[in-house]
Amino acid sequence: MTAKFYTPSAPIWCPGCGDFGVLASLKKALSELRIGSKDTVVVGGIGCSGSIHNNLECYGFHSLHGRLLPTAIGIKLANPRLTVIAAGGDGDGYAIGSGHFIHALKRNPSIVYIVMQNGTYGLTKGQPSPTAIPGYEGNVEIPFDAVLTALSIQGSSFVARGFSANQTQLTDLMKKAIMHSNSNKGFAFLEVLSPCVTYNDTYKLWREQVYDLNAERGYDPHNRASAFKRAYELVLQEKIPTGLIFEGEADSLEKNTLTSPVPIAFQDISIEANLPRYQEILNDFH
Amino acid sequence: MTTELLQEQQGLPSEVLQKNDVTIMIGGQGGDGTLTVVNLLGRAFRNIGLFIYDSRNVLSRIRGGHADGVIRASTKPIYCIADNVDVLVAFDEEAVEAGEQELSNQAIIVFDSSKGPLDPNYSSRGYTVYNAPLGNLASQHLRKNIFKNTIAFAILGRLMGLEDSLLEQVLRARYERKGKEALEANLKALSLGFEYCNSNIRASSFKIARLGSASNRILSTGNEAVAFGFLAGGGRFFVGYPITPATDIMEWLAPRLPKFGGVVKQAEDELAVINMGLGAAYAGARTMVATSGPGQSLMTEGVGHAGEAEIPIVIVQCQRVGPSTGEPTKNEQSDIYHVVFGSHGEFPRIVIAPGTASECFKMTVDALNIAEKYQLPVFILMDQALCQNSESIEPFDLSSVKIERGKLLSQEQLDSIPLYKRYELTEDGVSPRTIPSLEGGQSQVTGNEHNEFGLVSTDRTNRFRIMHKRMKKLEAAKKDLPRGVVFGPSEAKIGVIGFGSNYGPILESLEQLQEKGFKAKFYQIRTIWPLLEEDLQSFVDTVDTVFVVENNYNGQLASLIKSSVEQRDRIQSICKFDGTSFKPNEITRAVLSSVISGIGA
Ligand SMILES: Cc1ncc(C[n+]2csc(CCOP(=O)(O)OP(=O)(O)O)c2C)c(N)n1
Ligand code: SF4
Ligand SMILES: [Mg+2]
Repeated sequence: MTAKFYTPSAPIWCPGCGDFGVLASLKKALSELRIGSKDTVVVGGIGCSGSIHNNLECYGFHSLHGRLLPTAIGIKLANPRLTVIAAGGDGDGYAIGSGHFIHALKRNPSIVYIVMQNGTYGLTKGQPSPTAIPGYEGNVEIPFDAVLTALSIQGSSFVARGFSANQTQLTDLMKKAIMHSNSNKGFAFLEVLSPCVTYNDTYKLWREQVYDLNAERGYDPHNRASAFKRAYELVLQEKIPTGLIFEGEADSLEKNTLTSPVPIAFQDISIEANLPRYQEILNDFH
Repeated sequence: MTTELLQEQQGLPSEVLQKNDVTIMIGGQGGDGTLTVVNLLGRAFRNIGLFIYDSRNVLSRIRGGHADGVIRASTKPIYCIADNVDVLVAFDEEAVEAGEQELSNQAIIVFDSSKGPLDPNYSSRGYTVYNAPLGNLASQHLRKNIFKNTIAFAILGRLMGLEDSLLEQVLRARYERKGKEALEANLKALSLGFEYCNSNIRASSFKIARLGSASNRILSTGNEAVAFGFLAGGGRFFVGYPITPATDIMEWLAPRLPKFGGVVKQAEDELAVINMGLGAAYAGARTMVATSGPGQSLMTEGVGHAGEAEIPIVIVQCQRVGPSTGEPTKNEQSDIYHVVFGSHGEFPRIVIAPGTASECFKMTVDALNIAEKYQLPVFILMDQALCQNSESIEPFDLSSVKIERGKLLSQEQLDSIPLYKRYELTEDGVSPRTIPSLEGGQSQVTGNEHNEFGLVSTDRTNRFRIMHKRMKKLEAAKKDLPRGVVFGPSEAKIGVIGFGSNYGPILESLEQLQEKGFKAKFYQIRTIWPLLEEDLQSFVDTVDTVFVVENNYNGQLASLIKSSVEQRDRIQSICKFDGTSFKPNEITRAVLSSVISGIGA
């Protein structure tokens, strides 16, 4: 007999919140790729966005504000057979967790990272986030562009951006991201423009600004330098590049770190199984 | 064979003083290689069966600045440096100044006189001074100043009456692996030392006792013992960020754990360390992190997360002088409040404190088991001296290692559960745990307050119940926590309580007190949180006064104990916070002055 478990809760977002679109496309991608609920771990950050794990039927881990990436990396290293998806807000990932973001890009663990970018701190009621534009709630700083940052870090292997209002593109990007990480190619970073209708309603603005790079003739998502150049040109023109912006080859963290085909979570750690080799180490203490 | 018998057989001339316990200090500039001499001496002493203990006093920089190493050898087990240094090898005048406080009245000073002899005042203070041009001898005959260490080793050996052949054997064992050239140069240095002795030192100053031939004992620091305990206890995921004095643990594991399929990961900061650790532990790896005070400060939010989300994790806290950067290489025990109370909110946590390298090994295994059985954070509270000083001890008992994973469910067990709840309310507060990939164990693990399924809840009845559930794990865990150990005569009316590296100094202080006619006993506290109140109470009941010995300003442990026993007026503090460890006689003096003034009153 198979055990029953929790029933996912209904989303708590405001009607019209972009995060609904993220949830819908994530569900669709997981089901179209036939990824088992028992083999999926969704790690949420803290924020409106960071409640998405509660709405899915799988293993969920709600981490601390900004700490979803190290948490997800720890999970992946303990059991690389899992599909590990970290999902959180732009404040979570680009402000308090920005150090981990940089290091995850550099480290290339085979996990998916979805950032629900809304230019604000939704949950704390509308303060400027690192992606806020100048003038928003007194913001005087230039917005942080995570795609340009990700492209600039050697070792990053998958950089994409979607828009929650464009479900077809977003579901496709989600699937590509999951396939990238599940084939152990490394870190799949997917920023989703996900408007906060209550504190920063950017639907209209973003509809005008988004620019699908994959629809552009001759765009090569496998060339880091030209991808960066093109993305940056668009930013200067006040456009927001979307699509699969870059996919490259780099060794994944697990490939360079794990030494056993058996996940740590399932290794035989009994004293009996290891005694002779422990004894050898003990001899070195003499 | 007894020491006496061995002496007889060796036919010692009666005028040579026999010593059963000797302490040697080697001081110079960082980079002088003073630790080489400590290592060589340690090997020589161990080859004649002696117990050793050594401590290395280095600055937090790689080269330059005063550095010294102290090694003590004894015919009985020792767990600290003695009150006084018998022989000082000083490569410069600063080393003499730094070491003088610790010298015994009849100490011998071997001074590197390459730049001129030692200030004659030292001889007039009663010390025997040998001005030996160690550096010059090395440079002239071997072209490298560093060989002064081996020359010093030769002189030390002669001064203590160690056979030349023993010294040569030790040198060969160390340098044979390093190639012919290194070995020959060192042998030459050894003979330079002997030649110096032949013309400058008439006889050995004393003869160190022998205990027999090389024993089966091993040499380990507390950090090495913790690291090995982690491996043997089934630990397979270690994540760290370099920090003195905890780094040794990561460095010991780095080449070894991967051979067992495990991971040693250096993260970008301690925020990542604790959260990566929590992720791995959640997914089923036995996990440990190690840090010192500054790192724990950054980990604090994560420790609370482990408490709320009920994730088993072991945190080794290697205390050093704080706050802020403090003195990274110096000894202190001032993070007791930090490990016991640090964090917002309330959650169950456990703090255990080993006192010797043997206990470091065993209690790390305990910590892993306790963390998994009760699904909570467990601190192993260390201090710099325990972390980094070496002890010669019996080999770690691998056969005593037991791995207990508590209510971690297998697929089979899970299959028989009709409805799985990660945070199910149970008798002992411990809920069944699953790891991702098990069918039917799907759940939410979270730092938000939650219901039994792990779904967010702010319901007041739920909060009340789930809070109780978590907190009562602490009561249940008590039966598994390391109990205190009592040393000394049971009828003693003077009590001493201490933990960590103060184990050794307190034990020796008991002997000193006994010699002066005062009986004292020692309760070595090994679980700092939760306090095992009944044990503490029954110790306090039997004595008139309890001295709590600890390396901090506020008497943190004393105040915890005061809050848990009936007779708080019996508790007195003996505190030290100058960055150095207690010497036995410092404790003895503090106890005596209090006891004697008490009698006077
Ligand atoms: C250490 C810490 N600091 C501050 C907070 C308060 N806090 C909760 S959510 C949040 C910002 C969330 O913004 P974002 O990540 O963009 O998520 P959104 O709500 O916009 O989806 C903050 C600052 C916290 N939970 N933890
Ligand atoms: S406040 Fe904004 S981000 Fe939060 S749920 Fe509402 S619309 Fe979404
Ligand atoms: Mg946001």
